[in-house]
Amino acid sequence: MDIRKTKIQDVNLFEFADFDELKSEHIAAPRYSYWKSVWRTFFRNKFTVAVAVLLLLIIGFALIQPMYSGYSPIDTPNINTPEMKFQQPSAQHIFGTDHVGNEVFDAVWAGARNSIIISFVCTALNMLIGIPIGALWGFSKKMDRWMIEVYNIISNIPFLLLAMILSYVLGAGMQSLIITMTCTEWIFVAYFIRTQVMIIRDREYNMASKCLGTRTWTMIIKNILPYLISVIMTYVSRQIPSLISYEVFLSYMGLGLGTTNASLGRTISLYTSYMTGYPHLFWIPVGVLALISISLYIVGQKLADAADPRTHV
Amino acid sequence: MSAEHTERDVILSVRHVDITFSTGRKKKLTAVKDANFDIYRGETFALVGESGSGKTTLGRAIMRINPCSAGEILFEGKRISGKISREEDRNVIRNIQMIFQDPAASLNERATIEYCVSEGLYNFHLYQDEKDRIAKVDKALQDVGLLPEHKSRYPHEFSGGQRQRVGIARAMIMNPKFIVADEPISALDVSIRAQVLNLMNKLKAERDLTYLFIAHDLSVVRFIADRIAVIHLGEIVEIAESETLFKYPVHPYTVSLLSTVPMPDPVVERTRKHIVYDPSVLDQSGAPRSMRELRPGHFILATDAELEGYEKRIEALEAIRAKKDSQEELK
Amino acid sequence: MDVTRKVILSAKDVEVKFRVRGNYLTAIRGVSLDLYEGETFAIVGESGSGKSVFTKTFTGMLETNGTISGGSVMFHDKDLTKLKKDKDWEGIRGAKISTIFQDPMTSLNPIRTIGSQITEVIEKHQGISKAEAKQQAIDMMERVGIPNAADRFNEYPFQYSGGMRQRIVIAIALSCHPEILICDEPTTALDVTIQAQIITLIRDLQKELKFTTLYITHDLGVVANVADRVGVMYGGQIVEYGTVEEIFFDPRHPYTWALLSSLPQLGVKGEDLYYITGTPPSLYNKIQGDAFAPRNEHALKIDFEEEPPFFKVTDTHYAKTWLMDPRAPKLEKPEVIRDLHEKIRKMTDEGGAFHVG
Repeated sequence: MDIRKTKIQDVNLFEFADFDELKSEHIAAPRYSYWKSVWRTFFRNKFTVAVAVLLLLIIGFALIQPMYSGYSPIDTPNINTPEMKFQQPSAQHIFGTDHVGNEVFDAVWAGARNSIIISFVCTALNMLIGIPIGALWGFSKKMDRWMIEVYNIISNIPFLLLAMILSYVLGAGMQSLIITMTCTEWIFVAYFIRTQVMIIRDREYNMASKCLGTRTWTMIIKNILPYLISVIMTYVSRQIPSLISYEVFLSYMGLGLGTTNASLGRTISLYTSYMTGYPHLFWIPVGVLALISISLYIVGQKLADAADPRTHV
Repeated sequence: MSAEHTERDVILSVRHVDITFSTGRKKKLTAVKDANFDIYRGETFALVGESGSGKTTLGRAIMRINPCSAGEILFEGKRISGKISREEDRNVIRNIQMIFQDPAASLNERATIEYCVSEGLYNFHLYQDEKDRIAKVDKALQDVGLLPEHKSRYPHEFSGGQRQRVGIARAMIMNPKFIVADEPISALDVSIRAQVLNLMNKLKAERDLTYLFIAHDLSVVRFIADRIAVIHLGEIVEIAESETLFKYPVHPYTVSLLSTVPMPDPVVERTRKHIVYDPSVLDQSGAPRSMRELRPGHFILATDAELEGYEKRIEALEAIRAKKDSQEELK
Repeated sequence: MDVTRKVILSAKDVEVKFRVRGNYLTAIRGVSLDLYEGETFAIVGESGSGKSVFTKTFTGMLETNGTISGGSVMFHDKDLTKLKKDKDWEGIRGAKISTIFQDPMTSLNPIRTIGSQITEVIEKHQGISKAEAKQQAIDMMERVGIPNAADRFNEYPFQYSGGMRQRIVIAIALSCHPEILICDEPTTALDVTIQAQIITLIRDLQKELKFTTLYITHDLGVVANVADRVGVMYGGQIVEYGTVEEIFFDPRHPYTWALLSSLPQLGVKGEDLYYITGTPPSLYNKIQGDAFAPRNEHALKIDFEEEPPFFKVTDTHYAKTWLMDPRAPKLEKPEVIRDLHEKIRKMTDEGGAFHVG
């Protein structure tokens, strides 16, 4: 290349520039914040945001609507008014009416409310019990030896049998249903966490913490759990819908909520008998159930993806 | 080990240490066999070997990560291997710190640099108040050439060399006496290795540290170490002062290892011959091997028969050396 | 260097861009390189210098988000940058131009026998019978130094040690008699003693099979050992190239100076090693002027303004630095690398390892 071609004619530029050693240590990139990056990644996808809004609306509606409708399955004011029974969905009766003349709309939302509350409470309990136990379990080789036996025993108890026994002993109702769905379920959470902990337990940065004298609990909180946020979110996003289906299933089988409580499961079970004549009675609650489960699952998965720092670049 | 050295202040002793791992039922893998050496206060002692030689395992045994299956490790005269009291354990942690090989893997990616460097301070509550802790962290970062503004950053925002310096800062903040540095530069880019080596030397001089420097690269060790132990398949085969080892390597494995040190000179490299280690030249009679002192401070793993050969070899080397020196003088 | 030697591959102003989250990052910024038949050319650079990316354009193995956005790579009257589909690459990649990677396990299939992996390549490119292919494969295995090759033919990669695996990768790479062998850090993952063996093996095979070797490495010791010519790469460009003697004994670019000076082999105990401050440039930042300027203690003001051209040192030696401009202040290379040969001679003379045979 020819030197004359370059634009630079200024001889002064051929002097040594100042050199500052520390300047090269400066990091120019904007500051990184984990949670900010999580939300930024989450909100970047429009579809996800749409599903999240839909989910919030459904949950909000399910929590509020029953307060105004005051729906109760044993309260049947229209049972003796035949013209109020089996109405097709219309402007007046949005989801139509059922075999006792109650609004399906009210029944579905009251049921959805209970299902959502139960699944959220159970998931929260399972996580609260399962995560700390699982974290310790993954860390302690001694604990692993006997916990794995406990796990083998509990995981081999047929769930339906346990549910039946508990519902006879404790009676029907929300509390007993919550106990049924947490008394064994937590160990699966714990087992899942244990496996995850074991995967990252022996990584070098944990060894480094050990060499600095960090105690196990501090290590669990500072070194392990932050790495598990994403997988825990994935687990929760599958657990909530699956517990909703459990609730529906148990109530459908007559082992869940009693006759006094609204429940999607009971509603579906009651309406199944009218499926041939009045299919909307069956399909509307099933549709709402599916909508809740799927949107919960999608939002959970997307949140879990966003919580994985590999997506943050 | 030798009477001549007893007057030197021994900071760490490894006494006939075996380290075995069980690999399945009844199968055992001996990672380290009868390791036996002293490290003197203020020196840089290098442990050189290839992967699988047991050098990292031994370093981790000193850090109390790997248990010894035989023998013991003494720090300042007190046993630190096996079961020790909680108080002693805390004492060992404060005095012996480690620098890890891979700075990307050894820092908690979800914690800020401030937490990473403060971790030891928190564990031992080595600060009066928050202000004091921040001041200590700033000082530690400055000591390794980083800036206080880096505190709020996360490890992944740093380059490899910077991360390694964070790793050094978090070890140094504990004011340890002894540092196990496990291949501290081999994962770094060539252009930043020198900086980390200089930093380690500077800190050693300032703080009166003793290093156990674990490496596979003899060119680095030559620059940084005072004494070198060569370890091969779990056995230490030769220990000598660094200059001595380079001038008078005796064990065939050491010779082979030395012949692989690449030199940045194409003319020299072209005439170099790599010597492949051939264990069949060793005494195959099954006679027991032990560490023998060939020259003061120069130890070698040998049987009686081998020792004779090694004696001849070192004499030959010394003769060549003497001839060279006299030639130089004549000039 | 013999100027009449045939150029086997010629890269001109190659530019490579990567698409990362909607941004285009330039990884290779106009690199030219002529490869002469039968020579060993070594590209030296740190991680992120673009040395691997550059050579991947010779085999069409850029990651899917990377594109060659300019320049040409001529090989046998064919412009390799124009080849898009895998089909176009048939007969070139793995046949005429082969690559050995750093980690042998990435090139070997863990669930297939060593033998079948070699024979597959031979059958595919040479179209010969199974029995013949097997015989050739065993020959090749023996050639790369696998003892009892016939017995080990049916073993799996996990039954081989790291060094043996790399030998197998070399056997596969050479089984089609390539014209060019690209060695991408072939020894970095291996132990020092194995490293030396693999390097010697490649050199011996090169003499025997007469292929051209392109080494990619960060290790100047390896370069001194293997190379005929050297190109020093920094920030996506070759900043200096010349014969191996020219690069080691008469380097002109401050980055080459810095790389050589910081070698621990040249360190004097008790004294500080020379070191380079800062970190290699990030592709995310736009490079203005000389990419090395921010880390260069000898940087001129112009280095921050304008990219330097290549200045000719000799017919074979060029350096891309403003320090070579007649207007620039005269600057000698750092003390540590003056009389390099004398220093190393003395050092190796001291080393007992060099007397014992």
